[in-house]
Amino acid sequence: MSEFFHQYFDFTIMGDHFSEILEGFLRNLLLFAVAVVLALLFGLFLALLRQLPGKKFMPLRGLTIAYIDVFRAIPLLIILFLISGGVPYLNFLPKDIRIPHWFGQPDPFWYAVVALTMVYGAYMAEVYRAGIEAVPGGQVEAARSLGMSHGQTMRHIVVPQAVTKIPAPMLNEMISLLKDTTLASVIAYSESLLLGREVLAETFNSSAVMLSGLMFLVVVLPLARLVDYLIKRNQGKITRGSHIEVA
Amino acid sequence: MAEAMIRLQGICKRFGHLEVLKGVDIEIAKGEVVCILGPSGSGKSTLLRCVNLLAPPEEGEVFIEGHDICKGPGSGSGEDSWELDFVRQRVGIVFQQFNLFPHKTALQNVTLAQEKVLGRSGEEARAKATELLERVGLGDQLRQYPETLSGGQQQRVAIARALAMDPHVMLFDEVTSALDPELVKEVLDTMRKLAEEGMTMMVVTHEIGFAREVADRVIFMDDGVIVEEGPPAEVLENPREERTKQFLGLVLER
Amino acid sequence: MRKTRLAALFAVLLLALASVAVAGCGGGSDSTSGGGGSETSGGGGGEPLSVGSDIPYPPFEQGKPGNYTGFDIELMEAIAEKIGRKAEFQDTSFETIFRDVQQGKFEAVISAATITDEREKAVDFSNPYYLSEQAVLVKEGSSIKSLEELEGKTVGVQQGTTGQELAKEEIGGAEIRPYPEGPDAVNALKSGTVEGVVIDAPVAQNAVEKSGGVEIAEKVPTEEEYGIAVGQGETELLEEINQGLKEVQEDGTYKKIYEKWFHLEPPKAIFSATHEAE
Repeated sequence: MSEFFHQYFDFTIMGDHFSEILEGFLRNLLLFAVAVVLALLFGLFLALLRQLPGKKFMPLRGLTIAYIDVFRAIPLLIILFLISGGVPYLNFLPKDIRIPHWFGQPDPFWYAVVALTMVYGAYMAEVYRAGIEAVPGGQVEAARSLGMSHGQTMRHIVVPQAVTKIPAPMLNEMISLLKDTTLASVIAYSESLLLGREVLAETFNSSAVMLSGLMFLVVVLPLARLVDYLIKRNQGKITRGSHIEVA
Repeated sequence: MAEAMIRLQGICKRFGHLEVLKGVDIEIAKGEVVCILGPSGSGKSTLLRCVNLLAPPEEGEVFIEGHDICKGPGSGSGEDSWELDFVRQRVGIVFQQFNLFPHKTALQNVTLAQEKVLGRSGEEARAKATELLERVGLGDQLRQYPETLSGGQQQRVAIARALAMDPHVMLFDEVTSALDPELVKEVLDTMRKLAEEGMTMMVVTHEIGFAREVADRVIFMDDGVIVEEGPPAEVLENPREERTKQFLGLVLER
Repeated sequence: MRKTRLAALFAVLLLALASVAVAGCGGGSDSTSGGGGSETSGGGGGEPLSVGSDIPYPPFEQGKPGNYTGFDIELMEAIAEKIGRKAEFQDTSFETIFRDVQQGKFEAVISAATITDEREKAVDFSNPYYLSEQAVLVKEGSSIKSLEELEGKTVGVQQGTTGQELAKEEIGGAEIRPYPEGPDAVNALKSGTVEGVVIDAPVAQNAVEKSGGVEIAEKVPTEEEYGIAVGQGETELLEEINQGLKEVQEDGTYKKIYEKWFHLEPPKAIFSATHEAE
């Protein structure tokens, strides 16, 4: 049993490498911050595309649905490898785009941003869709009957109500995204997991990796509780037809 | 008499394989109040939705103020066709489920479309909204959200909301069916006032009393066709058709 | 009623998936962090000797489960035969490999592993079986000609290797990219995401010959020695392995394997290289 503590909770090792792991964790947070904003926007964009009405937009709707299906099905790690392994070879793109080094962040950072955005955008689009569909259709009929266009109806009636229904499931997706930033370690982005594994190789001890996990715990746990609270509150509310499934 | 306000010719409407309207012809003159009765599934609500293009018919023509808004099957369903604007700015509709916007106050419900669709200024819209809400007896509820209003009050807001667009025709789709009995009267009174002011109205309803007192014409529909129509005194007191008699017998028994 | 039926369907599906997985893994030994089965590819009978290795790392270890091959693999098979055992290999990730053998996950490690003081804290090493050095690998036609010229550039290495240490210590201001597997670093070089790779010279040479498009800019003579690692205190096994190695060297098997994989004669020094455990 003491071996267990020695392997995972060697405080000396944790102490020695604390600032290193913390720096790495900040890189997880940075990746998260950038990717989550892009994913939220991209997801909304996809969700709105999917809602475009009428026969003439059917191909666009179809494409959007196909995109969402594909990127919810293929594992994020695979997408990550496809991007980091393949994009540099796409010679028709300028080097600056193939191997990005923007704002001082190295290319693994940007490959990870793209992968996370593409995949989580798809998941978030579904959350938005649930929110949109939870807005009673009668209101849309009323708005259209008053002469409001599809765009106006979405903007003034549907989306404002949809976004109040989705914080809980959306937060869940965001938490998932935060945790998935550790996947960037396999393409040599120096975030906390990768650094923890380096300490592991040096010291033959997993405490630094545990430390990285604990940092996630500290950040994610309060957020997860917040989600639980929001779900409870949503269920208790009596709003017209607005109960959403947490995906 | 000038061109009819609304003219429906040979309307057929299908939902998938279900034929809901099987050839309907109606003419409604300006200022006329027409009540449509019938059992559920007879296609009454669908008919209303054909008039304002929420559910355009597969076959038939719809003329509003002489203009054909449905040039052929389904053509009126184009999202950017002029017919849509034309129709929805002339035809107001009130729904059974009120369909108010819950995230807006009563006042805002009535001003929103005025500003966004008609381009009226905030001031103009608010002034008109206030006036209309007062007319329907809700002048003291302007800042209330729909969830604090009773069903009857909500429905009156819905009426005011539709009227704010200065429609030439008002459609009412069983607007009292979802209300508690004690709240029905206030809504019917509002509708009656509207009729007295000369509004052209197409009212789908179960309220026989209202039809008898306010309607210029009563139409009885069943199974996707018009079975009988005529002045209320005739249709309601002395129906010719067997189906009409049956239906009225059932309804009046309530 | 619908919900229970759905739940039942789901349970059946899960069960089906699980049984396929179990059937697929049947026959293999416990999986390690590298996954893959453990198989022998040479002759020799006797009690199995479990050997951990970070596969792939050509030309030392490569191939698929059941079909591993490479200098380390063949050498270890030969040594095992000499001591009456049968080598069975387990793919594992390099950064845990020393801790793993210390914990007894397998009995020995052969993985182009340099003997270092650090590592000796956890394991005991055999006599050296290979003399090595580091190399700087660059894209063909690159203007980089030496380790120093990688200053300030992006440099790929494999996590936990002596190459990584060398790069960290000797290259000023470089952006070090630690990849999980050696070949990942080489791929990154070829795709252009890193400008140089610091890696074991024989591996670099293999990359030049086999995958092409890369060249060695400089060899850095670090005088490294590879050893076979066993858990600390496993003196008996270590003696057996050393004995086996000696015999393999003496009867010419070592030379044969060496020439097969490196197209060179083994250096004289290796035959007399010794290493004091601890």
